[in-house]
Amino acid sequence: METQTHKPHRPAQSGSKAEKKGKGKQKTGFNEKAFAPKSGRRADRQARRNVERDEARLHVPLVNRTPDDEPPPVIIAIVGPPGVGKTTLLKSLVRRYAKQTLSEAKGPITVVAGKKRRLTFIECNSDLNSMIDIGKVADLVLLMIDGSYGFEMETFEFLNILQAHGFPKVIGILTHLDLIKKQATLRATKKLLKRRFWNEIYQGAKLFYISGVLNGRYPDTEILNLSRFISVMKFRPLVFRNTHPYLLADRIEDLTPREEIRTSKGRCDRTVTLYGYLRGTNLRQSTKVHIPGVGDMDIKTVTKLGDPCPLPDADSEKRRKLSEKKKLLVHAPMSDVGGVMYDKDAVWINVPGNFTRGATDVPHGEGERMVIDLQDVDETLEETVARSNIRLFGSSSNPLTVDTRHHDGENSYGGDDAEESENASQGDSEFEEEEEEVFSEDEQDDEGSGEEDEQFRTGPLNTGRHAARTIVRSTHGFSSKEKEEGDVAFADSDSELGLSDDEGRGRAGEVMYADDEKEILSDDEEEFDEDNEDNVPAWKSGLAAKASAAFEELNRRKRRKDWVAMIYSSSLGPEQIAHGAGTPGVKPDEIDDDFFRVNSSGATNQDDLDMTKEALSLGALREWEDEGVLDSLRTLFITGDHDGGEADQEMNAHENPEGADLVDLESRKAHPALTEFEGIDAETRALIEGYRPGTYVRIELASVACEFIEHFDPCYPIIVGGLLAAEERMGYLQVRIKRHRWFARTLKTNDPLIFSLGWRRFQSVPIYSLDDHSIRMRMLKYTPEHMHCYASFYGPVALPNTGFCAFNALSGETVAFRVSATGVVLDIDRSTKIVKKLKLTGVPFKIFKNTAFIRDMFTSALEVAKFEGASIRTVSGIRGQVKKALNKPEGAFRATFEDKVLMSDIIFLRAWYSIQPRKFYNPITSLLLSDKSRWSGMRLTGQIRRDEGLKTPLAVNSTYKPIERPARRFNTLKVPKKLQAALPYASKPKLMKPQSKQTYMQKRAVVLEPEEKKAIALLQQIRALRKDQIARRREKQQVRKETHRKKIQKDEAKDAEKEREKKKVYMRAAGMKSKREADVEEGRSRKRRKT
Amino acid sequence: MESRSLVNFSGHQYLRQRLVLSILTGKHVRIDKIRSEDKDPGLRDYEVSLLRLLEKVTNGSVIEISVTGTAVLLKPGVVSGGPVTHDCPLSRSIGYFLEPLVMIAPFSKKPFQLTLRGITTDDNDLSVDLIRTVTLPHLQLFGISDGLELRIKRRGAPPEGGGEVQFLCPIVKEVKTVNFVDPGKIKRIRGIAHSVRVNPQFSNRMIDASRSVLNRFIPDIYLYSDVYKGDESGKSPGYALSLLAESTTSAIHCSEAASSPGEAPEDIALLATRALLSEIRHGGCVDRKHQSLVLLMMVLGSEDIGQCRMGEPSVRTVQFLRDIKIFFGTVFNITPVDSSNTELLYSCLGTGYVNVNRSLA
Repeated sequence: METQTHKPHRPAQSGSKAEKKGKGKQKTGFNEKAFAPKSGRRADRQARRNVERDEARLHVPLVNRTPDDEPPPVIIAIVGPPGVGKTTLLKSLVRRYAKQTLSEAKGPITVVAGKKRRLTFIECNSDLNSMIDIGKVADLVLLMIDGSYGFEMETFEFLNILQAHGFPKVIGILTHLDLIKKQATLRATKKLLKRRFWNEIYQGAKLFYISGVLNGRYPDTEILNLSRFISVMKFRPLVFRNTHPYLLADRIEDLTPREEIRTSKGRCDRTVTLYGYLRGTNLRQSTKVHIPGVGDMDIKTVTKLGDPCPLPDADSEKRRKLSEKKKLLVHAPMSDVGGVMYDKDAVWINVPGNFTRGATDVPHGEGERMVIDLQDVDETLEETVARSNIRLFGSSSNPLTVDTRHHDGENSYGGDDAEESENASQGDSEFEEEEEEVFSEDEQDDEGSGEEDEQFRTGPLNTGRHAARTIVRSTHGFSSKEKEEGDVAFADSDSELGLSDDEGRGRAGEVMYADDEKEILSDDEEEFDEDNEDNVPAWKSGLAAKASAAFEELNRRKRRKDWVAMIYSSSLGPEQIAHGAGTPGVKPDEIDDDFFRVNSSGATNQDDLDMTKEALSLGALREWEDEGVLDSLRTLFITGDHDGGEADQEMNAHENPEGADLVDLESRKAHPALTEFEGIDAETRALIEGYRPGTYVRIELASVACEFIEHFDPCYPIIVGGLLAAEERMGYLQVRIKRHRWFARTLKTNDPLIFSLGWRRFQSVPIYSLDDHSIRMRMLKYTPEHMHCYASFYGPVALPNTGFCAFNALSGETVAFRVSATGVVLDIDRSTKIVKKLKLTGVPFKIFKNTAFIRDMFTSALEVAKFEGASIRTVSGIRGQVKKALNKPEGAFRATFEDKVLMSDIIFLRAWYSIQPRKFYNPITSLLLSDKSRWSGMRLTGQIRRDEGLKTPLAVNSTYKPIERPARRFNTLKVPKKLQAALPYASKPKLMKPQSKQTYMQKRAVVLEPEEKKAIALLQQIRALRKDQIARRREKQQVRKETHRKKIQKDEAKDAEKEREKKKVYMRAAGMKSKREADVEEGRSRKRRKT
Repeated sequence: MESRSLVNFSGHQYLRQRLVLSILTGKHVRIDKIRSEDKDPGLRDYEVSLLRLLEKVTNGSVIEISVTGTAVLLKPGVVSGGPVTHDCPLSRSIGYFLEPLVMIAPFSKKPFQLTLRGITTDDNDLSVDLIRTVTLPHLQLFGISDGLELRIKRRGAPPEGGGEVQFLCPIVKEVKTVNFVDPGKIKRIRGIAHSVRVNPQFSNRMIDASRSVLNRFIPDIYLYSDVYKGDESGKSPGYALSLLAESTTSAIHCSEAASSPGEAPEDIALLATRALLSEIRHGGCVDRKHQSLVLLMMVLGSEDIGQCRMGEPSVRTVQFLRDIKIFFGTVFNITPVDSSNTELLYSCLGTGYVNVNRSLA
């Protein structure tokens, strides 16, 4: 039995079956017929769609202003709700790139990521203000989502902010996936979140999954993968950033003199320097900047600094082999990286020692604590002595005072001390009364200072900054070197005009000269070298020629310098420059030395006109009578001595670039820039083209509000955004706006709204409007649903086509979606043309045929005169016109209508009243607050009433009452007898008395025949039988139905019982499950808002 | 916010360019000591008229003139454009008013339709012929071309004027960066000899005189005789010759001379011709009368390097460069083209000026 073999199946080799089988196999591949259009029309449509899709993919080519050779670091913002793992990711990424673990990550952190790429990481806190600012500068956003929870409101808000300000690249990162235990749930969650994420960004947007935390970091392999994605990411230039210079400040210093701060008790305006990599376009010193959250500021100085985190070049690559550590460069002045802190033009290194503040966990001895406390002292011993009230003995009533009055004469210490001393002298005279007070004050003071100390110890600023540090390497040397270079450069540009009598410059002028000489020499040296290769004595032969060439070169250089310098940095008049240009014989020194100088601009140019043409005179042009002079010009014509071929070539050469203009827009870019200004010294170059993106600069700002420094928090990003000339002005902006469909309420005209537009965040009062048949802009009270409308408001000008988003409130307490509207700027103007409807009503008091006298519409004849000829209308639709004022009742007028109006008609005049938005502009100064998320602007009237506990005033006229309308009674028409008689018959009222006689039909009698009677009786009997039958049937049915109903009820009760049982079991299981989950969750306490 | 945006100047000179720069940048400008030392202090009638005209073409401008007329404060509004008509005073020609407006017009809200009445040609400012044939082609370098037109409806010679021109200018979003470094060789010479209310033979005489000098250089010379008659000829007699030389790279040099009482047409023609020759000798791609226009447009260009080769700067140009630095912060790099000649290469990084006034609605 085991050895039994079955006959194998032999498929048919021929016949219909074999044919079918073969066909079936072919069908498994791509079936092109399935996607072929079924009809010509469909094919056409499909082709159209394809073309449209391809067209939509195209973008207007945008010149990328970021230099390729040394681009600024890519800003990578890590954004997400609190507790999602932003800091962990930041630390993991920094560790991946810099091989260092940050103890605390604050502010931007710059690392080198590759040969051509540096990255600046910045963590965005969950304050909406920070999210707005970050959204405007981030090149790449790592959007973190808690996988175990899902999307939160902040995420969507942030995405909407991004959308309004040019969408940077976004990578989603799902964390906390380890909390989902069940594999199926995990898969489902991932899929769900991915779907939603794709909908929000684009289909196929990158979403990373990060599983869990190991050693306080995310798994290295996952971070490695993420970093690979980041390193190959390409960035498209965004329009707004490609037209504005900006920087993300990674370091901030207060340069205000300490004395000034002390005398003003810290309330004086500060001089602040901000450091960072320039981005966007070139920054010029004359540019005005806006710091979101602070305000508009003028740049005092811009200085180019050495790159703190340079890209590896050939030189550093060589060195890298020797010390691997070079690779691990990280620049994070605001956070504590390996104990290195940057302070005001100095670098501090924290050496953890006995007296270091940082380690709070180590118990300090008394002595140590005293030394540490000494670090907090911010005034000198003298001041403390002057302030203190020491009593010699416990019983002595008058405290010892140090009289500081004698100081006042020599060095004015400010009001602070003087007051103090005055107080003290007062105390001298009236010590008996003052004693107790002084004492109590003293105590309070002590307490106060104690508190202050504690605050200092616990305050956020305190963590790293006030630790004991030793200056290791001051950057003073560096900066002074920079300065020196600057001086040289300045002298270069100034040339030997020597306009300033300043010593330093004079010296620098010499330096320049030496420089030039050296350069020439070095040139010569090179030539020598070349010559040396040939034969030795030859160098002597060309000496004179070389010397002259060198002289020429020098001369030429001087001349070149002259033009820029003479125009921009000399005090010569334009006439002197223009006419004395060839001969620099006019020594500026002489002019400057002249003590008594004739005011040339005042006297000599008195009667010259502002004219474009220069005055012609035959005398001046007499030279052209000479044939020789005329012939000298021949070379400038195509018919001249030169061959014509060259001209043709030139023609071609010229025509080419014009044609190619559009084509290689991208490649053209800044190429002239590279070649054009290369030879110029740094200072002049900065003057001409500004500072290029990618350079690390220090921007000094004068008179910054002191709160900016006092309440500085590195967790809030500081952005310095350059403004275009137009953006410095204020005006009325017309924007196209649409209420966000997730925002719960409608927006009302004249309610304050917070805009994030350009760099700025500000509150303004918009008026909404809609275009009314292209005739007028008509005001809307509320924004329409699901539709764009216009809004006009007063504010700082932004270029048309700039996107914006708007908010009603920025505070984190709002539970609902906070982005209230988005839109785009359309128009800038100094006035608006919005109108609202105004209806003037009146009533007729005398009616003629088509004319009526109207009153109660106007109050004076003057008003009527203004409206003469205006069209009016009755409610019933009779149109008319205002004619002329009447003199009797003031304000009444004569009007004509197309038909006779009634006394009961209401006449109205539809007019348009133009309104202007209120000139209200309130910049959001969130960075100046100690609690930065608590900015509050103008409140709504309702909010103020609620806060103040006021009731809404209710006008008597506005209360609703039942409307009583008396029924109108119309009198019957009575035509006088006389008139009736005169009327023709057709017009006569035809009223007759009711008929008194009965008609035949009424009075005739009806009698039945016997057969008829019988038939009717029979019918009646049949009907009665039928009725009875139906009644009996119904009764029976009733009984049947009753029994059925009872049965049904019984069944239902049984089912319900069963259902209850089932539910009970299920709920018990669910309850137990949730209890278990709660137990698991207890470990990590996280606060969050429900989506 | 306004502290830095106020720019102060003194003196009546260069008033036009300062007003133009103020309007373009939006910076307030205050000009004082206007002829304060003069016997007749304060603004002249044509300057006041220019201020009026600027007020007409802008929306929201505030112009304050001091009681004595020696100080002006301009708070510029937005350039609105549209149809505007202005009667120019007879003390200056239309060119005085048209030159600053040519600089402003491309950056307005609505396309300019400006009608100016007055003197069309005089000795001080560019005549309408030159503006039409030379100034407007310069704007084409910067991508302002479609719909750019100057129509000479009527001619008006000094002193009585009576001319009328219509200036149409399209609006642009931004101007192109120019790279004009090849002056080329002069390939043709064109000219307009016009005469009003004089013997029509006058213009032919001018043409003959001019040809006597120019014929030696190039055969491609067309000098049009443009005689206006009747209502179109204005109120006063006069004649003038305007010449322009165009190179292979369409660099244009121009000159002109207008009649003054008692001067023969031949003299006028010689004056214009010789001025043209000295202008040609001056070299560069742009002639001296249009240096400031080209430099301004270079500054307003996109944020790339613009280059242009020109002769040495005129007096007005020097001050214009200084004023540009004050208003825009832009500094030009001016280098000699080569050691042998006096031509200079002006290069600057454009400010990326965008026409903010242009509305999308």
